[in-house]
Amino acid sequence: MSPKFTRKGNNGQNYPVCYGEHVLGGGVIRLWCRHQNLCTPRWIVGNYYISIDVRGSTQQVVKMMKFMLLFSRQGKVRLQQWYSATQEKEKKKIMRELITIILARKPKMCSFLEWKEYKIVYKRYASLYFCCAIEKGDNELLTLEIIHRYVELLDKYFGSVCELDIIFNFEKAYFILDELMLGGEIQETSKKNCLKAIAAQDLLQEEADATRNVLEEMGLP
Amino acid sequence: MTEVMERTLASLPMFMKGELGGPFGVSRGFQTLIKAIGESQSKHEEERIMKKEVSYLQQKLTQPDISNKHMKELLVRLVYCNMLGHDITFGYIHALKLAQQGGLVEKRVGYLAVSLFLHEDHELIMLLINTIQKDLKSTNILHVCMGLTAVCALISTEMIPALLPMVEDKLQHPKEVVRKKAIMALHRFYLKAPNMVQHIHEKFRKVLCDRDPGVMGASLNIFYDLIKEDVEKHRDLTNTFACIMKQVIGGKLTNDFTYHSVPAPWIQVQLLRILGMLGAGHKKNSEQMYAVLDETLDKSEINHNIGYAVLYECVRTVTAIHPNPALLEKAAERIGRFLRSHSNNLRYLGITALTSMLPVLPGVAGEHQLVVIECLDDPDETLQRKTLDLLYRMTGPTNVTVICDRLISHLSTTADTYLQSDLVTKITQLAERYPS
Repeated sequence: MSPKFTRKGNNGQNYPVCYGEHVLGGGVIRLWCRHQNLCTPRWIVGNYYISIDVRGSTQQVVKMMKFMLLFSRQGKVRLQQWYSATQEKEKKKIMRELITIILARKPKMCSFLEWKEYKIVYKRYASLYFCCAIEKGDNELLTLEIIHRYVELLDKYFGSVCELDIIFNFEKAYFILDELMLGGEIQETSKKNCLKAIAAQDLLQEEADATRNVLEEMGLP
Repeated sequence: MTEVMERTLASLPMFMKGELGGPFGVSRGFQTLIKAIGESQSKHEEERIMKKEVSYLQQKLTQPDISNKHMKELLVRLVYCNMLGHDITFGYIHALKLAQQGGLVEKRVGYLAVSLFLHEDHELIMLLINTIQKDLKSTNILHVCMGLTAVCALISTEMIPALLPMVEDKLQHPKEVVRKKAIMALHRFYLKAPNMVQHIHEKFRKVLCDRDPGVMGASLNIFYDLIKEDVEKHRDLTNTFACIMKQVIGGKLTNDFTYHSVPAPWIQVQLLRILGMLGAGHKKNSEQMYAVLDETLDKSEINHNIGYAVLYECVRTVTAIHPNPALLEKAAERIGRFLRSHSNNLRYLGITALTSMLPVLPGVAGEHQLVVIECLDDPDETLQRKTLDLLYRMTGPTNVTVICDRLISHLSTTADTYLQSDLVTKITQLAERYPS
């Protein structure tokens, strides 16, 4: 087994520290070298230690997409959808840094970039930047096309969509995104089905509103 | 019924504009806010406007009798403030209440606000369980859909036992949109707590054969993770996946799924990834898929990005499975197309594909040397990084000094710490391997 982490000993040799880890259930099991000083509880098995780290209930859920951001050329956020549990402070930091990096890129450059542990795919449509963060092993071109599909849906729904439509009706943009992607995974790839689902919701919304207006006119609650 | 749908779809923009008055169909207050922000001259003034808005909303929300409709408008403004980065923790409980009590429209906004404000570890999530349970049991399909969407966004491990039986039930629902959302919710459950969904693997297989292709496509997500976890158990499905792939490329799915003349590209890519995992290191499985992979390589449309996306995935699959020389040759030729294109995106993918081909077909990099050198000198940083990675993997005893020189020169020019540490690791590893 080749060690995962090593440390340098006094004589300049490399000592293995941790041989590997495995996420299991609500925690992480690690296999350590016996000569390592560990403060966490451990079991001794032959020449190895086994330790179990119980993380908080937040597990590393490996999803296709980590988050999707829409922002204007001035750096104003128009939509943010996070598919993993992140603290508010962390979210703000990521957004700030990422927006600066993307706004600094020239038009001819790649639509993909590697930033920290994420792979970022972005595309500019008129005055809006659509930006997604995906797993390292994912197909970047496919994500670019998901963004394009989302824009097509918005276009069909709003009728020649522009940034103002998204500013004033951002909740509708969220609903449309929820029909395309759920939990960071692609949900429905047929344009017609997505729009049908949203139309169904809107239709019932119209009926509900109409009934409510009628009731209000009649003076009933 | 469908005719009504078409007509509604056509008149949707008109409906929206007529709703609630105002040109964009939003409340007066929201409109004034956005206008003010748009016209503000400085960051200072914008801050002032936002602070005023937040305190106004806070004050309004403490009033006792707010109608659901009014609450919905206030929540929309709250979400907007949250998006611009202001703290609106006082509004969380109201969002929860609206998701619980509101009619269809308000419930939708309530759920949206909750999924944006909270996350799965938040302590207020527990209050949502009851609401979701009620919605899942409702006879109104839209309530069920909203509940399932919220489940996907907000579920935590403790909540799974309470909601699992109801979600499982929805797999047999007559409406395909419900079945689709149910399978996605179960996928989330599986990712969070695989042991809790052990008993329903059989049901997943049934969903794979669902008559609606949308539902089948959604089930591929969960199969990808199932197979990643345990390949052996699902080896028998190789033929099924190869068959589905054949049908998809043959255009058996309806036209709805075609995207820029490529039939159901996302489904194709998912299937390719799954096939890649099933075939890796297993001769018999790989043989079952050679025919369909060959067909995919032939049929890929290359006048649009999405065709390239499918081609790229196919090349990746071919390199992952048990090697077949004819297929590999074809794949290497296709990579040439990527590298010769003018788009940086495609060249980036070409380099990545070359990198993955190296272990199986070591001579392939030699053919495309010129292009690789060109990419190295490209001003685009992302492309450079990927080419450096390729060079590192191509290192043999003959070219090690040249490549190391390149890496070191790049190290001195870059300012990014991640890249620096990465380069240092690579250089030291090369130095260890070829100590001359």
